[in-house]
Amino acid sequence: MRPRGKAEGRPWLRELEVPREPVGNLIDCLSLRRAAAAGLCPSVIVHAMLLMSHRGGHQESKKKLEISPSETMKAEEENYKEEAKEPKSEDWRPPSVFGAADLKNRAVGLYNIGQTCCLNSLLQVFLMNIHFTKILRRISVPVCATQKKKNVPYQMLLLLEKMQCGKQKAVSPRELVLCLEAHRVTMFVQYDAAQLFLTLWNLLKKQMKNPELVEKLSDLYTISVQEHLACQICSSETKRNSSMLSLPVPLLDSDSSMLKTLEKCLQCFFRPEELTGHNMCFCEHCGKKTPFQQSVKLVHLPQTLTIHLKRFCFGRSAYIHKISNCLPFPQDLDFNAVLTEQQCQAYDNEKAAWKYELFAVVAHSGTTSYGHYCAYIRSLTECKWYCFNDSFVEQVSWDDVKSTYGHSDLYWGQTAYLLFYMKKQPQ
Amino acid sequence: MAQWQEVQQLPPTHLERVHQLYTNAALPMTVRQSLADWIEDQDWQQAAEPFSSHARMLFHSLLTLLGEQLGSLGPGDEDFMLKHNLRKARIDLQAAFEEHPENFANLVANLLQEERCILRRAQAKGQVEATPAPSTASQSSQEQEIQQRLTEFRTALQEAERAFRHMEDLQDTFDFSYKMYYRPGQDHSHDPQYAQHIQALQAKLQSLDRQRREVVAQIQQLLGRSETLRDFLQQELSAWHERQQRSCLGAPTDTCLLQLQGWFTALGEGLFQLLQLLRAVGELRQKVTYEQDPLQSELPLLEKRLQEQLTCLLQSAFVVEQQPCMPNTPKRPLVLRTANIHIDRDPPKTRGFRKFNILTSSSKTVLVGDSPREGLVCDFQYLTLKEQKGGGSGKGSRGTNEGPLAVTEELHLITFTLAYAYCGLELKLETSTLPFVIISNNNQLSSAWASVLWFNMLSPNPKDQQFFTTPPPAPWPRLAEVLSWQFQSTAERGLSREHLHMLAEKLFGSKPPPDSALPWTKFSKDGAAGFSFWAWLDGILALLHDHLKQLWKDGLILGFVSRKQEKKLLKVKRSGTFLIRFSESVLGGVTCTWVEHPESGPPAFRAVVPYTAAELASLALPDIIRDYQLLAEENIPENPLLFLYPDVARDEAFGPYYSQRQEGILTKKKEYLNQRLIRVSSRQPHETWQTQEELVMTTEDLETLRLNSGGQQPVSPGTVPGGDRTPGTPQAVSPGLQQAVAAGLGMQQPGSQIPVLPSPQQLGSGSLGVLQTGMGDLGLPVVLQVVQVGPGGQGVLPIGGGAVGPLLGSGTAELLLGNGAAELLPSGLGDLEGLPLQEPELEVGAGQLEATELLPTLDDSAVLLDPSDPFLPQSEDVALPATASLFTADGDFPPLHIDASDFQ
Repeated sequence: MRPRGKAEGRPWLRELEVPREPVGNLIDCLSLRRAAAAGLCPSVIVHAMLLMSHRGGHQESKKKLEISPSETMKAEEENYKEEAKEPKSEDWRPPSVFGAADLKNRAVGLYNIGQTCCLNSLLQVFLMNIHFTKILRRISVPVCATQKKKNVPYQMLLLLEKMQCGKQKAVSPRELVLCLEAHRVTMFVQYDAAQLFLTLWNLLKKQMKNPELVEKLSDLYTISVQEHLACQICSSETKRNSSMLSLPVPLLDSDSSMLKTLEKCLQCFFRPEELTGHNMCFCEHCGKKTPFQQSVKLVHLPQTLTIHLKRFCFGRSAYIHKISNCLPFPQDLDFNAVLTEQQCQAYDNEKAAWKYELFAVVAHSGTTSYGHYCAYIRSLTECKWYCFNDSFVEQVSWDDVKSTYGHSDLYWGQTAYLLFYMKKQPQ
Repeated sequence: MAQWQEVQQLPPTHLERVHQLYTNAALPMTVRQSLADWIEDQDWQQAAEPFSSHARMLFHSLLTLLGEQLGSLGPGDEDFMLKHNLRKARIDLQAAFEEHPENFANLVANLLQEERCILRRAQAKGQVEATPAPSTASQSSQEQEIQQRLTEFRTALQEAERAFRHMEDLQDTFDFSYKMYYRPGQDHSHDPQYAQHIQALQAKLQSLDRQRREVVAQIQQLLGRSETLRDFLQQELSAWHERQQRSCLGAPTDTCLLQLQGWFTALGEGLFQLLQLLRAVGELRQKVTYEQDPLQSELPLLEKRLQEQLTCLLQSAFVVEQQPCMPNTPKRPLVLRTANIHIDRDPPKTRGFRKFNILTSSSKTVLVGDSPREGLVCDFQYLTLKEQKGGGSGKGSRGTNEGPLAVTEELHLITFTLAYAYCGLELKLETSTLPFVIISNNNQLSSAWASVLWFNMLSPNPKDQQFFTTPPPAPWPRLAEVLSWQFQSTAERGLSREHLHMLAEKLFGSKPPPDSALPWTKFSKDGAAGFSFWAWLDGILALLHDHLKQLWKDGLILGFVSRKQEKKLLKVKRSGTFLIRFSESVLGGVTCTWVEHPESGPPAFRAVVPYTAAELASLALPDIIRDYQLLAEENIPENPLLFLYPDVARDEAFGPYYSQRQEGILTKKKEYLNQRLIRVSSRQPHETWQTQEELVMTTEDLETLRLNSGGQQPVSPGTVPGGDRTPGTPQAVSPGLQQAVAAGLGMQQPGSQIPVLPSPQQLGSGSLGVLQTGMGDLGLPVVLQVVQVGPGGQGVLPIGGGAVGPLLGSGTAELLLGNGAAELLPSGLGDLEGLPLQEPELEVGAGQLEATELLPTLDDSAVLLDPSDPFLPQSEDVALPATASLFTADGDFPPLHIDASDFQ
């Protein structure tokens, strides 16, 4: 939900540590309401699932690839540079002095500071990934305090430190949230996790100054595919390489029937598609619109593979509804067993490394208009599953993770939405 | 056990970790030791939160307690050091944490957590060592998992409640301060104290907000875990459903609901508790809310999620514990019989089966007390099914089905609905029985049961009423298992591997492929021998149940042995070794085969014509075996059955089963002589191996019976034995009697009660009817004698009432007529194959009894038999003319009276 307008000041919670402002005003903002709160529910911005709903409908071609980004953030960059204001002291605690045991790897929660469950889940997925934190720890610290405040990788690093050094069960991601706000990532609204993941990742990439690190980050997350468009009349073919941050797999096949497993979804995603009728493309050789075959071939898979389950689709009306049906996903995923020769465009040594195990699940409960996110993450050091429910972290078992497969009769239950697979170490 | 005590008992390696833990800790181990219990009792985690006033309180309590401890210590040497350490610790702690007691709370909380961690690791290791082989079935590990998760759930719930109470406190404090200090609208710019108050108020609000988010996150977490738990329970429940289905088929499984009920109740209780917690949280929100109140946005979601889970849980927790079943066929549930023809009020195509009970009300109230542990059980006894009849609705309903299914292939469901209301949650729960078959007559029982077997064995959907429009074939391994259950449940002994092998060969030919599957029609409808496979098996089952239960149970009946196999088995045994097996050509027949090794030539095998229920009713099989006589003209009658296969002397094997011989009581004035039945076969010395079974009545005392093997005329029994009706008196259960009639009549007796409508079966209102079989009180007419008429014996035997029944059998005609009653004895054509009847024989055991007194009369509701009835020869073999008249004569079946003189 969007707080009151900027002119009036930020929502009170974050204002608290700005003692310059008159305090009396703040209390006014509390809008303390007694006994009549029911009708005053602030509107929830249904931003949520629009991103995937573009592509979730089965009537659309499924493969308008989500090219990994970078354009979106241009505007922010300008803003980013013209920052020069008085510094503000960091509020995070110094590493505590009375450390008793090494809690470095213990899972620490993140407080929900207002609709941040989506961000919290994603942050946990980022920060529990040791391959990512290795990169993060190498960033150069911005010089001036303002830049520090606006630097997303730096704030993330601070948060990581705070999580690992503080002895609390949970910490607040407040500074990072403020930092993201400065980059026009409005917080305190319901987010679509896949979209926010993309935004976060782009910000990270943009603000890491070291090109080596940027490359590492790209290597860690981006998937390379080759798009093929072949005219069915003259057989001329155009190819295009592109990279993606996640594989957006459909849950419904072309006949709108439910796919039974994640493997089937992946196969469906890589299945060639005929473009006929309305979807015909203009062929330069033929000089007219002709039927085309469109296909996607897998070129490269990264260390951390993100799979986006398109759990949302248009119903008959414009109403977007959530597909809560059961979709099992395996703990171990071997792409060589899933895809055929024709669906890959890679060398054998690349393909040999296409063996993955599940690392994290971002699960959503609720409907398209509002809901809750939590993350199930398998600690890479301890090999145990944890459930991160904002400030609540609990060790869980694989059975609990399996409960996010979904149920056709539970509309409000947890369903996996983003899957993160980690490449297995070659034996 | 207290944590600290446990820690101290750790093995050295783990204890080392504890020492490491405390080496650098600001909390000295001395303090931990001396205040162990108190420290463990406090909620340090809570206190460690920022802005917590709790932390300061705890910190100062600790210091005070330390002071008390110091005071209580004596002046001894040991105490001296301890005193010093404690005093030092107290001063150090005060210096270090006075300013930030929450840091201290954090420290203690972490220390305690680490201790628990070490304990867990030690325990885990201990368990691995303690249980070298997890031999316990995975089933029980699943149970343990559920149990453990339930405990965890409860603990987490308690924690959530504690967090809630904390939140309540925070809110109260805030609320009070707010009312006290908050004065908007006035000018406070000169009041520095006011600003301070407001700041404190702000801080309180912030901690309240944090606590609210905390509670919400905690509940989210709880809901996540309960989903997993529900998944587990669901799995267990479906396993139970499967078990129930199997047990309906006769499988020996445990269908006790107790454990499941416990689990469901525990989870349900927990979820309801959570629901109440949620509502309490909602009330708090009603009192105080603010911008970005987490409760405002999250509560509806939480409540929806919780309600959905509860609904799901309750829905699945509503089950039919006992499937419907007729009281007199408890082994065959899911076959029901209509009681009367009635007009149903229910429109067709609804699932609205009415349920009725003895209280003449169609519903029962189930109350949830405060202790739902006792379970909510509703017992609907004495349901009466009434068939919807006539009218367009009936026909219409029938017409909507694709293709006319046979009555016994129509599947029906009773749906129970329950209006559930508890804790403000109102649900309509629904559950259905497994599909059952409604028959109008008991003679359909067998084929109805075949349908039930097939459905429960193969249907993937337990509610698929259209299953028999395209019944799938049954894979043999599955079918074999189910068939074995039938024997298990009927006669307490399942089928062995050899038995099943024989059956498989019978069905699929020799060397059947492992993936053979039997189509439904081949199982229940077609059969080379004139009856279907199932009819044959069911005949055997009935025979076992009625007459041979004990022998089968004790393994004396080899049973399913093919002729080939039988020869192989007996060939190597000494002469007189016999085995008992089921006839493959006669419905419900059992026979003995023995081997004889003549002086020269290959061993010879002989078998008697199969005994069926009719014969066994008059004489039990062990007695037949004991007294069996083989007559050959030139020989003294002898019993060829000497050793039971493999090698047990006859009397040793069957001794315990012989019935007591009725010795004449000499003191009593004898009006009659004793009599006893034995079985005799005769054979011509010159004919090779032909056996013919006969039923002979003879007397015990007067072994005067002579059989003329020429057989053209019965040898006069000489004396007509009189005698009391001793227990040995033949009392033939004569299903055959009824069947004969039925076969002639077919199914379409006018006014017969075949259900026409597939779905709307009304359970009759008001009437307290039991599902009657109509057969329970059916008197059994006694057949005194069986007359066999060889082909040569042109036998119409005009007796009594003048109805005539020609008989069946290949070439043999058997005829038995009383006043309007006929008994058909299937003659064993199969067993006699290759053994042509050379000489017709007519044997008459003469024994004229006062038949009337022996013969109970038939109830007016004669039982109709399905053509596929196991006891019945196929209808094409039956040529019973004008049977209707036979049947409708009077309803009474007068005694069968055969006088030997008739044959003269």
